[in-house]
Amino acid sequence: MFEIEIFTKEGFKDSRGEHVLSEISGLEIKEITKVDYAPVYIIDADINKTEAKTIASELLIDKITEKFEISSNSGSRKSKNSVIEVLYKKGVTDTVSESVIKAIKDLGITKEVKVKAGHKYYLHGNISKTALDKIAIKLLANTLVQEYKIK
Amino acid sequence: MKATTNCKTIEILNLSDKQLTNLSARNVLSLSLVEMKAVQDYFRKLNRNPTDVEIETIAQTWSEHCKHKTLTGIIKYTEKKGTKKTKRTYNNLLKETVFKATVELNKKWCLSVFKDNAGIIEFDAKNGVAFKVETHNHPSALEPYGGSATGIGGVIRDILGVGLGAKPLANTDVFCFGNPETKDSQVPEGMHHPKRIAKGVVSGVRDYGNRMGIPTVNGAVYFDEGYMANPLVYCGTMGIIPKSKINKKVNSGDLILVVGGRTGRDGIHGATFSSMHLGKESDVSAVQIGNPIVEKKVLDTMLKARDLNLYRAVTDCGAGGLSSAIGELGEKTGALVYLDAVPLKYDGLVPWEIWISEAQERMVFAVPPKNKKRIVELFNKGNVEAVFVGEFTKDKKLTLKYDGDIVASMDMFFLHEGIPKPIRPAVYKIKEENVQKPIKMNSASLLKALKDALADLNVCSKEWIIRQYDHEVQGQTIVKPLQGNSIEVSGPGDAAVIFPYTVVKGTKKGIVLSNGLNPQYGKINTYKMAANAIEESLRNAVAVGANIEKMSVLDNFCWGNPNKPEILGSLVRAANACYDMSKAFGIPFISGKDSLHNEYSIDGEKYSIPPALLISAMGVIENAVNTVTMPLKNEGNKIFVLGITRNELGCSVLAKIKNVKGGVVPEVYPKESKEIMKRIYKAINSKLVESCHDCSEGGLAVAISEMAFAGDKGVKIDIDVIKTKGELTVAEILFSESNGRFVVEVNPENKFKFKDIFKDCIFAEIGCVREDKNVAFESVKNKVEVKEKSENLLNAWRNTITW
Repeated sequence: MFEIEIFTKEGFKDSRGEHVLSEISGLEIKEITKVDYAPVYIIDADINKTEAKTIASELLIDKITEKFEISSNSGSRKSKNSVIEVLYKKGVTDTVSESVIKAIKDLGITKEVKVKAGHKYYLHGNISKTALDKIAIKLLANTLVQEYKIK
Repeated sequence: MKATTNCKTIEILNLSDKQLTNLSARNVLSLSLVEMKAVQDYFRKLNRNPTDVEIETIAQTWSEHCKHKTLTGIIKYTEKKGTKKTKRTYNNLLKETVFKATVELNKKWCLSVFKDNAGIIEFDAKNGVAFKVETHNHPSALEPYGGSATGIGGVIRDILGVGLGAKPLANTDVFCFGNPETKDSQVPEGMHHPKRIAKGVVSGVRDYGNRMGIPTVNGAVYFDEGYMANPLVYCGTMGIIPKSKINKKVNSGDLILVVGGRTGRDGIHGATFSSMHLGKESDVSAVQIGNPIVEKKVLDTMLKARDLNLYRAVTDCGAGGLSSAIGELGEKTGALVYLDAVPLKYDGLVPWEIWISEAQERMVFAVPPKNKKRIVELFNKGNVEAVFVGEFTKDKKLTLKYDGDIVASMDMFFLHEGIPKPIRPAVYKIKEENVQKPIKMNSASLLKALKDALADLNVCSKEWIIRQYDHEVQGQTIVKPLQGNSIEVSGPGDAAVIFPYTVVKGTKKGIVLSNGLNPQYGKINTYKMAANAIEESLRNAVAVGANIEKMSVLDNFCWGNPNKPEILGSLVRAANACYDMSKAFGIPFISGKDSLHNEYSIDGEKYSIPPALLISAMGVIENAVNTVTMPLKNEGNKIFVLGITRNELGCSVLAKIKNVKGGVVPEVYPKESKEIMKRIYKAINSKLVESCHDCSEGGLAVAISEMAFAGDKGVKIDIDVIKTKGELTVAEILFSESNGRFVVEVNPENKFKFKDIFKDCIFAEIGCVREDKNVAFESVKNKVEVKEKSENLLNAWRNTITW
């Protein structure tokens, strides 16, 4: 199992992060000073790290504006900021994952692959668990079809 | 008939009335007691209990969504005006109003009306043009992004599924949302904030429409508190179809081919669910997620298969899934389906789930056996999954098999005609309307009112939304949604014009799309609301150059709970307006859709939405070059107002801003309006019109300001020469929302020719375009001068929605 996170490179605009930040201030939560957004892909397959790297660099990132990080089990990346991770619930059609699975096959990796696509938001600033829940429920996740984790 | 581990028998033969009602509620069937009893009777005759597959099939087929049972049912209507009461019984409201007008008008150029997935009118000698507008309200309330995306995906499939398939050329979208400034604490628990819904809905339409490569060219957004928990999402698609491909025919022996997406648990009970009101406990499986890439591939390959004549009929899987699609195609023949042959997204679906799932991006074809191999090869070449799941029979029965066992066997006649007609009472009390006390305002407060009107949520720029959509793709949009000299300076176009030169080689013709909607008027009088919507849609189209003699309209009713007599009564009134206006303007309805039960509950209290009738208009014009836009063009040109201004400020923008009580909701005068509309077409085609704008919300003041700032020009208007009915104050003249009016810019050289065309119509020359970039309204008589830089008015209009 590999978790691939995609970050915006220094010097480029993380517009989704900025957008979320402005929406958080709309919720009258003032403590957050910055939001980093990272799409995340959890790849469940019998592949090695080199293959995971190929998938990340050839498929998932825009090499000019983005970089990736791979961890071999979910959630190992240390962060001093609060993190909200949003994923689709089981059974909900996840078209991004379907496309990634197909593209991995097209890369020549023929092993059986399962993919979950999600979103991670790194929130800078000191903030209570209640406020994090509020941000997650009101802005980031539609709990009808998605679930979120606060890390 | 066999019950297997995957298919249960449902005890119904010996149930009491109460137990039948409970069964309907428990299994989310949304069938009334009368309907449940009809089901019980049918199976008593067969002397057996139904299977779950059969019960679910009946529930889908008889759902409000598929059968429109309220509008086609019996309605006992009472109308009260003062102390006078009139009564009338409708055996089928749709047939006796909307549809009746079309039949009576009997236009030869209407090629397919009210029978297929979309309405089709003639484009030229070889082609027709199809138009359909759908609603996707409930799913969008729960999951705005997925809900609206599948809304647009669904209506595109309606166009693919009309006749043997039309090629989509343009999308439209119209939304009603709650007030985006609502305080967070006022949003009921379990519901999304109106702004979140608005953003989600817009991005859903954007992502699906843009990825399909279909331009989104026309739309509207309406904000009202009444739509907070129940937004309205209307999605439309227009497409072009060869006349030879308009009819479908299913023969016994044809094979059933399912094409496109796989079947999963998505959207189970969508059709029956849309007949229920929204509450906190609404269910996850009602939500569908769209995949535009799959649909795009289906689109591209199926049009190839169409042109190779590889199939005899096609329809899309919408509400009710395979159950509705195969049920409709096989209505006259019968069908045998092997449910275990349907390709699934994942294991674990039981037969009834496969049969009624509303998984997206699926189409069903009737294929003659000789083309079996070729059609599958063609789809596979386009990376589209295509699987045969059964055949059309000649026994006029629906038979479903799973793992070799028969799990359903019913007569098509019972399924499609066995539904008992409900009888519903309806009442409507016509409210008395009186002219408000004269509204007197000085120059400063008039200017403030003008800026407030421009900034009003229902008038202001929707640029934030429009610019997210691709309205250029396919390269055929020649009149665009935002019009002006640059990206920074633009105004709201009245209608879109598509010039389909890539599909119809060598054509000069164009297709005009517009809409009309104003739920505000419906709060006083739904008859007037409907009449206004119809006229507004026509006026918008005529303003860019449409020919009023060759236009058609679609109706989309979104109403509250029809079990409440007052609500159903207001619907009857609106339907009557549709008949009257359609006849008076000579404009046929060609297709429509209703979404009833738009009701939601907060803390146990039930609320119905403000009724909304969207009218979408489509017209064909001879020469796409002869169209005009709304920005003012040149200094020195003359400004005319066509039509008469009446004291009609009921539910107007000014009434809202100034909190004016009373007032008369604008009346429609079809004879007057149509005469003007005819002549505008003549004037535009004689190249006498430089710019033209429809006058609606916010009246003349708003319309003229928009023309000025869109063109980055100044304008000077003499209020005293504007033609009015009776004595009106300056504020009333500037802000009245009377119908039948256009503001037109004319080159002084053409002035006399222009006036000649409009002789015996009511019109006036009221001012001219000026270099100074000031918008000025003057009345010497009343010592009023309202003057402001057009740039400042532009900013007032632009800065409301900047999310």
